[in-house]
Amino acid sequence: MEFLVNMLGQAVERIADGDGAIWSTTLRTLRFALESTLFALALGLPLGFWLGEARTRPRRAGTVLANAGLGLPPVVLGVFLALLLLPTSPLGRLQWTSTLPAVILAQTLLALPIVVALTAAAVAQLPAGLLDQARAYGASGARRSLLALREARVGVLAAVIAAFGSALAEVGAVVIVGGNIRGRTDTLASAVLLDLSAGDPAGATAHVLVLLGLVLLAGAVLTVVQQWAAR
Amino acid sequence: MAPGPVLTAERLAVARAGRVLVDGFDLELHRGELVAVLGPNGVGKSSLLATLAGLLEPAAGRVRADGRVAAALQAPALARRSVRANVEVALGWWGVPRRERAARAAAALAALRADGLADRRADSLSGGEARRVHLARAVALRADVLLLDEPFAGLDPPTRAELLRDAAAILRDPARATLVVLHDRAEAWALADRLLVLLDGRVAAHGTPREVLERPPSPAVARFLGFTGTIREPLGVRCLRPAHVALDAAGAVRGTVAARIPEEDGVLCEVRLEDGVVQLRAPHPGPAEGDDVRLRIDGGVVFA
Repeated sequence: MEFLVNMLGQAVERIADGDGAIWSTTLRTLRFALESTLFALALGLPLGFWLGEARTRPRRAGTVLANAGLGLPPVVLGVFLALLLLPTSPLGRLQWTSTLPAVILAQTLLALPIVVALTAAAVAQLPAGLLDQARAYGASGARRSLLALREARVGVLAAVIAAFGSALAEVGAVVIVGGNIRGRTDTLASAVLLDLSAGDPAGATAHVLVLLGLVLLAGAVLTVVQQWAAR
Repeated sequence: MAPGPVLTAERLAVARAGRVLVDGFDLELHRGELVAVLGPNGVGKSSLLATLAGLLEPAAGRVRADGRVAAALQAPALARRSVRANVEVALGWWGVPRRERAARAAAALAALRADGLADRRADSLSGGEARRVHLARAVALRADVLLLDEPFAGLDPPTRAELLRDAAAILRDPARATLVVLHDRAEAWALADRLLVLLDGRVAAHGTPREVLERPPSPAVARFLGFTGTIREPLGVRCLRPAHVALDAAGAVRGTVAARIPEEDGVLCEVRLEDGVVQLRAPHPGPAEGDDVRLRIDGGVVFA
């Protein structure tokens, strides 16, 4: 017990002292999470809206696929992406192995099914016929999407919360495709592995505490926004 | 020269999921007209309306519109915002300039006596209020052709009667052609100048409500229009509505009461005759089941 208290004390001290490595990892993690969430939203929202209006078999199949993607083990995606990024593979020319874009790509692909599935579910819950009625009154596709975004905003914000949370805490795929290089491609979650293997439990605890704080803060902010939007 | 039709359907076929629901549908709709398409549930009326509105591709035939067509679908789907905002947003979809929207929305809501609801949130409206706003939103567009899908569905009788009365006045507009899809005969009588009865995927009757009711062209149409009684006669089968039959001690027709259903203002009796069965309405308490009665029959239509 004393050891744990000591570790916590040292970790808090390092955070409070402004340990440069911790804060640079924090900024990098935030950047990865924000960029991958934005990419996932840019791709996933239109797809989610399209699937949410599903009346045809291919669209229903797409929803099933997105829902299945929610359970995709990150390590599976990581291995698959790492293979695709090998120099002799289709994406090898990008030379993204162990780079920031590879980490962002992996996190985007992990967040994408979350955005698609939750958005499609939110759109499917809209009042019956709302989007059809908009179409019957001449609303363009863009205006119907705006209407769906506004009306399904609570569900869409839930998708944003879940996607951002997933991107913040992701380890498996990040380590595999990014190489977990200290100071370059490590994140708060993956830096814990480096700390532990280097025999620095206080550093691991400090990273975990910052990560926990970020997850709670992001969740709280987005939840307040969601509750405000629900009014 | 009389102005041409504002909406025309020629040999139109309507299908859903590969199944043809309506076939050989012809229509000419002129400004100032209010036409009702009447048919039982599931006959394809809503799909027909969606096809006329251009929301569904025709399976065959074609639709031509000389102006803009707006369709108010069956569900009064309103966004989670105020009633006023719902109408104004719809005007935006329709392409009405922003500066004109507030006045047009207010005028339409007032015309449907829904101006008192303008600041209410749409999700706080009762079913009747939502239908009223749905109709006001459709009227606000000032479309050349307005298509309405069951605008009174799911309302209790007093609310329906009130909305029907208001709608009958508002929907009759010389600048607009209106087509309304209904399954309730009473609504069609209250609203329509012209009636199309859709049975088994085809137009089974066409004319003014009075013409169609007095001279239904087939036994199937007669049954759909409430001709619940039939008597076999030498020249064919006479179809009768309850209004054509009355209890009369001096009547020439004898029968036995087979069933009775109490109603608000009397009793609906089913009477078995030697050559058929008829229904009639009698004042309370009416005859009992098994009673022998004499009837007077006045009217009906005979099908050879």
